[in-house]
Amino acid sequence: MAEKNTAVHTLAPDEILQVKNLSINFGGLKAVDDLTFTLKEKEIFGLIGPNGAGKTTVFNCITQFYKPTAGEIWFRTNKGTVENLIGKQVHDIIRLGLVRTFQNVELIRELSIIDNVLIGAHIDFKASVLSQALKLPKARREERELRQQAESVLDYLGIVELKDQLAGGQPYGILKKVELARTLMCQPRLIILDEPAAGLNDVETEQLAETIHTIRDKYNCTIFLVEHDMRLVMSICNHICAISFGKLLANGTPSEIQNNKSVQEAYLGAEED
Amino acid sequence: MASKIMGTGAGKTLQQNGRKTILHNPYFQFVLFGVIIACVPLLSSAGILRSSYITLVGSVLIYSVAAMGLNLLFGYSGLISLGTAGFMGLAAYMSAYLTSNLGLPFELSLVISIAVPVIIGILIGLASLRMEGLYLAIVTLCVSEVLRKTFEELEVFTNGFSGKTAAYPKILGFLQLNRDTTYVLLVVALVIIMILTYNLVNGQTGRAFHAMRGSVVAAQAMGVNLLKYRLLAFALATAYASLSGVLYVHFIKYTYPSTWTMGMSLNILAVIVIGGLRSIYGTILGAAIVFIIPDLLLKQIPVLGQINGFSYIFSGVLIICVIMFYPNGLIKVFPELAGLFRKKKGKGESNG
Repeated sequence: MAEKNTAVHTLAPDEILQVKNLSINFGGLKAVDDLTFTLKEKEIFGLIGPNGAGKTTVFNCITQFYKPTAGEIWFRTNKGTVENLIGKQVHDIIRLGLVRTFQNVELIRELSIIDNVLIGAHIDFKASVLSQALKLPKARREERELRQQAESVLDYLGIVELKDQLAGGQPYGILKKVELARTLMCQPRLIILDEPAAGLNDVETEQLAETIHTIRDKYNCTIFLVEHDMRLVMSICNHICAISFGKLLANGTPSEIQNNKSVQEAYLGAEED
Repeated sequence: MASKIMGTGAGKTLQQNGRKTILHNPYFQFVLFGVIIACVPLLSSAGILRSSYITLVGSVLIYSVAAMGLNLLFGYSGLISLGTAGFMGLAAYMSAYLTSNLGLPFELSLVISIAVPVIIGILIGLASLRMEGLYLAIVTLCVSEVLRKTFEELEVFTNGFSGKTAAYPKILGFLQLNRDTTYVLLVVALVIIMILTYNLVNGQTGRAFHAMRGSVVAAQAMGVNLLKYRLLAFALATAYASLSGVLYVHFIKYTYPSTWTMGMSLNILAVIVIGGLRSIYGTILGAAIVFIIPDLLLKQIPVLGQINGFSYIFSGVLIICVIMFYPNGLIKVFPELAGLFRKKKGKGESNG
C-alpha cells in the first residue's frame, strides 16, 4: 500500500511534476518498475516505449485511476503549492490543474459538441443543484459565461461552427479536437495527452503538432504526452523519456534518445544474439 | 449571439437558440402544454369527453412524474432501477396515513412522504457505487418487493389487502379540492416538474449525469464526483416517484398493495423506453401510450382484449419495435415527420 507521504518535496522552482520511484504491480507483473523522471514548466514532454511498456499505466498512476504500489508523484498545483498526488481522489486531480485526454476518445455521443466541452468546466460551476433547478441568476450567469468561454476555446481550435452538432457521428479528427478543447476549460497547469495523434492522418498530425505548440504558449501550461508517432514526438518534444517493460531506458533530448543504444534495441531488437 | 445553425430536426435539443418568438421559449411551451391539458375537465363538463377520462388522463400525468424521475436516473445517468413502484407505494401509503389517521395538513404530509423514500433511495445510491447493470436492477427490485410485502403485512398502517383510503387534498388548510381541481393540481405539479427537469438536465448537473453514463473514467477525470452524482440521481428519481405516489393516493383516493408490483415498475420503464429516453415530452408521450392505449383501445378488441395481462404483451411488443426502429423513443417520430413535411414544401423554404 502507498503510505501517506509526509516527506518534503524536492521540486526545483522551474519543475512542475516529479515522478519518483514509481512502481505498480498487477499480481506478479511489474507494470511500472521504480520509474523516476521530472517535467519542467512549459515543457512538451514525451513518454515513449514499445507496446506494453506501461506508458498509459504511468498516466493512470499520475491521475490516480490506479493506486501505485510505491513511489511519490509531486505536482506544483495551480495554487502554487507542491503536493503529492498519491492517495488523492480521482475527481480531485483536475482541481489541482492537471487534466488528461484518453487513448480512445471519451466523449458523450448524445450531447452537442459545446456541451461536451462544458463538461470540462464541471468544477467551475459553483451554483447549487437547487439554484440550477430554479435557474437562479447565479446559475444563469455561470452557464452563460462558461458557454462563452467554451465557444472561444472551440473558436481557437477552429471548430466553433460545429458547436451545436452532436458529438456522435463526427469524424475522428474533430472528436480529438473536442476532447482537447475539453481539457482547456479548466485553466490547466499540466495537460496529459494519451496518444493524441492516434487515428489522425498526416495533415491532421501536422496540425496537431502546431496546435500543441500554441496551446502551450497561449495557455501557459506544460504538456505531457504519450505517442507512437515518432515523427511527431521527435519534432515537438523538448524532452523525452523512453521506457520498456516499466523500466526507464533513457531520458533526454530527442536527438539523445534517437542515438541511445538501449532505446534502439528496445524498438528494433538487439543487433546480435 | 451566433445562433445561425438551427441544426436538423426540431429545436428542442437546442437550448439557447431560437428565442425569436415566445412560442419558441421552452418555458412558455411547458405552461401552454399545461393549460391545454388542464382543459380536460372543462371538456368533460361540456359533455365532449366522458368524465372517466379525467381519471385516465390524470393517472397518465401522475405516472409521467415518476417516469420523469426514472428518466433522470436511467436515461441520463445510465443507472437502472426496477424499484419505482415500491417508492410510489411507500409515499402513497405514508401520505394516506399522515393525512387520514394523524390529520396532518396535506403540505406537511407531502414533504414527509417524499423525504422518507428519498432517504431510502440515497441508501440504494450508495449501493450503486459497488454494482451496476443487472445487479443494481435486482437490488432495486428486492427493495421494491420488500416494501410491497410490508404494505400487505403492516396492517396497522396500511389496512393490508383491503387497501387504504385518502381524501382529496386540502390546500393551505382551507381550500378543499374536488376531483376536477385535484386534476388541475396534478397538471400544475407536472408542469413544475417539467420545468425543474428541463433546467437541471440542460445545466451542469445534466451534463454530469451524461458524463457518468457516457464514460465513468472521463467523468472522474473531469472532476465529477461519482458518489455525489449517483446519490443525487437516486435522490431525484425517488423524490419524483414519491411525489407521484402522493398525487396518486390523493387523486385516485385509495391504494392497494397489488398496485405497487414489479409490473408497475416495468410499465414506468416501458414509458421512458417507448416515449423517449432523455426527453421530457417523450416521457409524457410514453405514459400516454402505455397507460391509455391498453385501457381505451385494447379492451375493445374482441378475443385478445379479454386475455389477462394483454397490456403487458402490448407494451412488450411495442418496446421491441421501438428499440428496433426508434432507439431514442417514439418522440423522435415528430422531428422526422417535420423533416418530411419541410422537404415537400421545397428546398428554398428551408430557413422559413
